[in-house]
Amino acid sequence: MGLFSLDRGGWAFKVYDRNKKLLAAVAAIALIFVVGQFVVSSFLSLSQVLITLKLASFIALFSLCQMIVMASGGAGLDLSVGYAATITAIFTASVMNGQNSNLWLAVLIALGIGLAVGFCNGFLSAYLKLPPLVVTLAMSQILQGIINVYTAGALITGKPSPVLQILAAKSTGIFPNIVFLLVGVAVVVMVLLYRTRWGATLFGVGENETAAFLSGINTRRVRTIAFMLSGTIASLIGLLLIGNMGVAFKDMGSDYVLPSIAAAVVGGVSLQGGDGNYVGVILGAVLLQALLNLLVALGWGDAGKWVGFGVVLYALLAAYVSNRRGR
Amino acid sequence: MPTTTSKRGRALSGVARLVLRPEYSSLLILVVMIAVAALLQHNFFSGPSLLLTIDAFGPLILLTMGQAVVMVAGLLDLSCGTALSLYTCILTFVMRTNQPASGVLAILITFAAAVIVGIVNGFAAGYLRVSPVVVTFATSFLWLGIALFLRPTPGGQSVEWFNAFYNFQNVAGMPAAIRGIGSFLPPVLILILLGCLFWYLLSRGPTGRYLYAVGGNEESAYRSGISTARVQISAYVINSVFVFLAALFFVGQNQSGDARFGDPFTLRTIAAAVVGGIALTGGRGSIYFAIAGALIIELVNKIIFFANIPYAYGTLVAGAIVIIAIGGSQLYSGYSRRAMTRGRTP
Repeated sequence: MGLFSLDRGGWAFKVYDRNKKLLAAVAAIALIFVVGQFVVSSFLSLSQVLITLKLASFIALFSLCQMIVMASGGAGLDLSVGYAATITAIFTASVMNGQNSNLWLAVLIALGIGLAVGFCNGFLSAYLKLPPLVVTLAMSQILQGIINVYTAGALITGKPSPVLQILAAKSTGIFPNIVFLLVGVAVVVMVLLYRTRWGATLFGVGENETAAFLSGINTRRVRTIAFMLSGTIASLIGLLLIGNMGVAFKDMGSDYVLPSIAAAVVGGVSLQGGDGNYVGVILGAVLLQALLNLLVALGWGDAGKWVGFGVVLYALLAAYVSNRRGR
Repeated sequence: MPTTTSKRGRALSGVARLVLRPEYSSLLILVVMIAVAALLQHNFFSGPSLLLTIDAFGPLILLTMGQAVVMVAGLLDLSCGTALSLYTCILTFVMRTNQPASGVLAILITFAAAVIVGIVNGFAAGYLRVSPVVVTFATSFLWLGIALFLRPTPGGQSVEWFNAFYNFQNVAGMPAAIRGIGSFLPPVLILILLGCLFWYLLSRGPTGRYLYAVGGNEESAYRSGISTARVQISAYVINSVFVFLAALFFVGQNQSGDARFGDPFTLRTIAAAVVGGIALTGGRGSIYFAIAGALIIELVNKIIFFANIPYAYGTLVAGAIVIIAIGGSQLYSGYSRRAMTRGRTP
């Protein structure tokens, strides 16, 4: 909401506003752990925190896809990230076959799948102006269909290369390696989005498509590139998923899709486009994962877990994603 | 297009106006798909086969109509699947097999629950102005949790007369005349007609127009004095009523509740509504044409089944057809809009 921030002092207010949201997320995460410590013993232990971070890292990486697509505007969302990751994991498993020597080929396959999937999504949504929600949903069905056809004719065989296992599953000292990877990705993303011309273009297209178009930006191409980036990142996450699990299976990525959208929104990304801070998104992912862990640790069973998750998510959204303008 | 520009300014005839309606393309697709289905399944148009088809297609039609109302108002409901499960759980939680009156109580309580579900969704989307996609994503877990609390495993009790929502033949005390009606007008069709009547009455009044106004341009609707938040809440409540009707059918059919069966419906209702010409951006589309969208989505599965396409290819083909259908309707509506507004700037 550009106008909104200008009314309250423009740039300075925007910075304050962003940090306020980040601080609120950090406070909420701390609250979850403190409450957890009171209710369930050893919830605030280092190992619990690290497990939460590790699980949240995967959600945060998927949320990166969502953030880029959402930032490009046009009601962008990418529901195909789960199956893009899954299909990459399945197709690269036998190629890698537990060896490092073929990792480059696996990465090439991942890039190919990701770019192709992203291009189809982007072309259909940006050039044919079809709603991304439905396009990416149908795309995920198509990918799922390809997986079904493949697995009907052949078994999923093969193991990830050791490098991927080290990257995704192992720890250095006490810290899971995936957390270091996430930090690296975050730095690259922040530089790319906030310090390059392309990042400004992406946010510009999301914020006001007409203005961007009139200033000579090929808005359709920018949006298509956003989807291609999303698909590529999702495919590469597929390599990490198989590295973490050790095997590939049919539905390994689907459970991340909707949480990745929720984490992005809780992290302050607007579904209207033109906005997004990846640090906030990571905090959003940690928040969701910590909440889920707490609800599992409470031992209320499935019913209590989902009621708690729904209520807290609803309250969170109401508390600091809402945009009340005197209605 | 030289031929179209030469007609600039001339009024369109009634037929042209009908053919150029954006929803027309989904009707065309529907006719083609029915033809294909009838070619593949030789007894497609026979009475018993049609009745089976209607029973199988009915629930998605009801759910899609509800989703269409929400989408016309510029919103979205990702929680309708789990809400559907929740209603079946409440119905079978309240009912006692040996107390026929408990069925009435169950219907009343579930209807109240449906209204509350609509208000909870609409409050966050309308008053708190949180994105409807994430709000209803959050509430979908809430409904799932409550449903699991009431019914951890599928089951529950149902009164005998609840069968009337599925098949009049199964109800012992049903008069022969009504059974006769049921042989050509199955209960699920009656539920759909009820839904259509409900929407017809709404669309004649201010509510229907406000839904389109808010969906088309929320800001200007607000500025012209419409309480947009209240309209958005009513959109979700209307949606809940349609989901409630679908829940009645399912409990009639299965005589049990299940906390997890409804979720796969959610995204299909959205796809069906879009195929039926409802714009995801809101404000455009006809609720009745959403029925055509639901029929298309269901016919896809039927055709895949009868065309002997290997099961593994099912999802692949279904996804491709959805893209072709919405792509086709998008291109067609772009063409027809240009033709309708010929000579004027869009």
